[in-house]
Amino acid sequence: MKDIRDIIKKERLFFDGGTGTVLQSMGLPPGQSPELWNISHPERITELHRSYLDAGANILKTNTFGVNRDKFDNYEELIREGIRCAKKAAEGREKAFVAFDMGPTGQLLEPLGQLGFEAAVDIFAENVRIAKSEGVDLILIETMNDSYETKAAVLAAKENSDLPVFVTNVYDASGKLMTGADPAAMIAMLEGLGVDAVGMNCSIGPDAMLGLTELFARYSSLPIIVNPNAGLPEIRDGETVYNIDAADFSGYMREIALRGGNILGGCCGTDPEFIRMTIEKVSDVPYSPPEKKNFTCVSSYTHAVFVDKSPVLIGERINPTGKKKLKEALRSDDLNYILNEGIRQTDAGVHILDVNVGLPEIDEKEMMKKCVSALQSVTDLPLQIDSTDPETLEGAMRLYNGKPLINSVNGTEESMQRVLPLAAKYGGALIALTIDDAGIPETAQGRADVAEKIIKRAAEYGIDKKDIIVDPLALTVSSNPDGALVTLEAIRLISAMGVKTSLGVSNISFGLPQRDIINSTFYATALQSGLNCAIMNPFSVGMMNVYYSFRALNMMDEGCKDYIGYAADNTASPAVSAPAAEETLFNAVVKGLKESAAERAEKLLESTAPLDIINEHIIPALNEIGSAFEQKKAYLPQLLMSADAATAAFDVVKRGMSSGQAEKRGDVVLATVKGDIHDIGKNIVKVLLESYGFTVYDLGRDVEPQVICDCAVRHNCRLVGLSALMTTTVSSMEETIKLLKETDPSIRVMVGGAVLNQEYADMIGADFYGADAMDTVRYAESFYSR
Amino acid sequence: MIYYNLNGSEKNLKANDIFMITAGAEDIEINKNELAQRLGVSRGYSDDMIEKCRKRLMGLLSYKCAYINVPVSFRQENICDLEFMQVRSRNLYRNLRGCSRAFVLGVTAGMAVDRELARLRVISEAEYFITDALASAAVDSFCEYACREMSRGMDCARRFSPGYGDLELSCQTELLERINGQGLLGITLTSSYLMVPMKSITAIMGIRQ
Repeated sequence: MKDIRDIIKKERLFFDGGTGTVLQSMGLPPGQSPELWNISHPERITELHRSYLDAGANILKTNTFGVNRDKFDNYEELIREGIRCAKKAAEGREKAFVAFDMGPTGQLLEPLGQLGFEAAVDIFAENVRIAKSEGVDLILIETMNDSYETKAAVLAAKENSDLPVFVTNVYDASGKLMTGADPAAMIAMLEGLGVDAVGMNCSIGPDAMLGLTELFARYSSLPIIVNPNAGLPEIRDGETVYNIDAADFSGYMREIALRGGNILGGCCGTDPEFIRMTIEKVSDVPYSPPEKKNFTCVSSYTHAVFVDKSPVLIGERINPTGKKKLKEALRSDDLNYILNEGIRQTDAGVHILDVNVGLPEIDEKEMMKKCVSALQSVTDLPLQIDSTDPETLEGAMRLYNGKPLINSVNGTEESMQRVLPLAAKYGGALIALTIDDAGIPETAQGRADVAEKIIKRAAEYGIDKKDIIVDPLALTVSSNPDGALVTLEAIRLISAMGVKTSLGVSNISFGLPQRDIINSTFYATALQSGLNCAIMNPFSVGMMNVYYSFRALNMMDEGCKDYIGYAADNTASPAVSAPAAEETLFNAVVKGLKESAAERAEKLLESTAPLDIINEHIIPALNEIGSAFEQKKAYLPQLLMSADAATAAFDVVKRGMSSGQAEKRGDVVLATVKGDIHDIGKNIVKVLLESYGFTVYDLGRDVEPQVICDCAVRHNCRLVGLSALMTTTVSSMEETIKLLKETDPSIRVMVGGAVLNQEYADMIGADFYGADAMDTVRYAESFYSR
Repeated sequence: MIYYNLNGSEKNLKANDIFMITAGAEDIEINKNELAQRLGVSRGYSDDMIEKCRKRLMGLLSYKCAYINVPVSFRQENICDLEFMQVRSRNLYRNLRGCSRAFVLGVTAGMAVDRELARLRVISEAEYFITDALASAAVDSFCEYACREMSRGMDCARRFSPGYGDLELSCQTELLERINGQGLLGITLTSSYLMVPMKSITAIMGIRQ
């Protein structure tokens, strides 16, 4: 048999249609898994496949969609028999291919779900190995509604076979996956991973896929698969508005073919007649697979960022070089600080976030993996994975949910040999530094030559020139008088080669005073010379001024809308902060004004000892709002806003303290017990305890008793708070208390939550029942003042 | 608001027909009592922060409901037979007594809400708390709306969810599978039978007539 990859370059192939609907008409009871018939009724499965081949279909989906080791004990037999049924039907037929069908695992991946990324890869890998040993023509990964799970499945297919891989995702009526990705983002990621055809299936009817097909045709360089449902008959006020039959379906499929759909077939609700009519209707539509696209882009789990005319901002704040607080956060594993930096830069308007966690004293690879996973849960921006260590790069590229920007490769033999294969395997755009074994060339032409060399080598690994973004390096002008001029000339030369460029702009001013002035002027001239991407500080007013005005001046900002919005935000801020000058820290905390509280604390630090600020300003303010709450004169949201403000002020004050000076009020372990996700009460307690200066180890929700116990022991913490909301989970609270007391009888346990009362708390062996959050804080205070 | 039926026309309303109801954020008014209770404020109270959180949440809500209409029978006391599953529950039995059919439904406010909550958890506990309360009240309000729509002109029992009384959360596995909860609503279960997206509800609503 010929390789399907060659055939789809030249002629149209057709997928089969639905399985469940047809099998139900053959007697499969509703609610029963169709895959079970692979063993109990193999002849009917083969018959189903034959009916599709008779209708003219070329690619059979094996009846293995929902099979994996987590769902069926006899998964291996179900897979093998399913493949045998399809192969039997295809035997002796011309141009008939058997696609091993893999659907979703049924579990959502971390961080929103529970299934780990590597665990998902393992589940798919097992299926792929079985399919490969049984012998199939290709692997079809279909009906995926999560980009991350799609990536896990593709990696499993690629790492365990050389088979062609086709991927179709489920887009909803808004043109996005359930977890947010649009077609451009999916295409960027899947092309990077080296699949052979991409597309869509299920969920919506062929009418709704017309627009999606056009989007695919615009972005994809790979053949496009379109396997719609038989439409969604709409019922309004009890009346059926429309229903799609085989004739309508095939009419739409012809339109889809005209708009760029290449490999066509059906999904739920379609039968052989749908496929037969589709083939008939598109027979005179000429076949033309997509042309190769020349976009330079990276993607996140929601969208792609294109590197084109409009400048791209890469936020540089998550990089410990010269940043004391970030270094501290990395050493103490304070992910929250890092996530905050990510969110702040996202809000400031950058397009991509650089992530660099290289510190000699920490495990860079593990920290990078942690940061990339965590950042993906709080920001939808693509990430630039920044490390000099190829293993760190690989760890993060594997876990990354999209097509990353990789910083960096350079022209040295070692770097090219180690980094280029990673990009070839996982996909990604590469920042290429113009330095090689001979050092940084002094001339612009020298740097362009290094760029050329890297591009050529990359091509040997199958990496396209469009995925190389050259950084011609900015050398500080204080020691290299012609540093800026050479770099600018290099940008022009490299741009003329049709290659995109990037710069770490702020290097130019190293060693000079008022660096922002030089940086922003250099940025403006670099943009004028054709620079595409800048790794920069989005909190620099000078840089942002240049960015917005450059776009307005160069017809990249229609009606100057972005500029006007930016200018309005900028003039508004002094007016807003003016009344804040009158605010005292006490008032700011009582009113819950976070920014103002931090500013006031900063100001007070100039004249007041840190401990005095805490004891004379922050704590009294918290007590004031706390007692207002207890007297029902303030509401819970107000109490929490005050706690937010107090925490912001507390953070400022802590920085003013020398390390031993910080008053330690005590540690508390908090958790919502196993089986319960209702953690609001626990979170309120946490934020109040922190605002009062306690150190809180928050284990989150749905936490195993043993995990809580281990944490208390590890931190030698004697005070544990547990929450539960559902009656069904009080028993797991009781179990947790029992385990804690067995481990260390001196541990005290506070409990709270809607289902509890004093009597209940006594019954399950708790030491304290907190009716509300303030109550709990008071108990913690008295516990530690004993 | 769109209603659709996945397998066949109205003439062919078999037991395996799944219907959907969807709505945009602006179609559903968030129940004021429900919200006040969750926020711990008096009914109708609002402030700048609550309004800010509400506005942001409105852009993220995507309401979907999938439901079926199945016969109900009782083989013996405390055992409810819903055709595709049998559950032992005294509370559900009492709730469904006198009903010959029932709606079985799943609703969700969508995955974007979970992501927003994860983000807010990092930046502000107050905004997290408020947004969580808003989203809970929102999905509950949509669930009420969907129940009203599907039961027009019918006499129905109060909807009853897994986790209420003695009805085990674990029955959500079969329930969600039956209404294609993953495919249509994007709902998956954790090992403790908790739903993702978090702002989702499953329920059974008995039909008396």
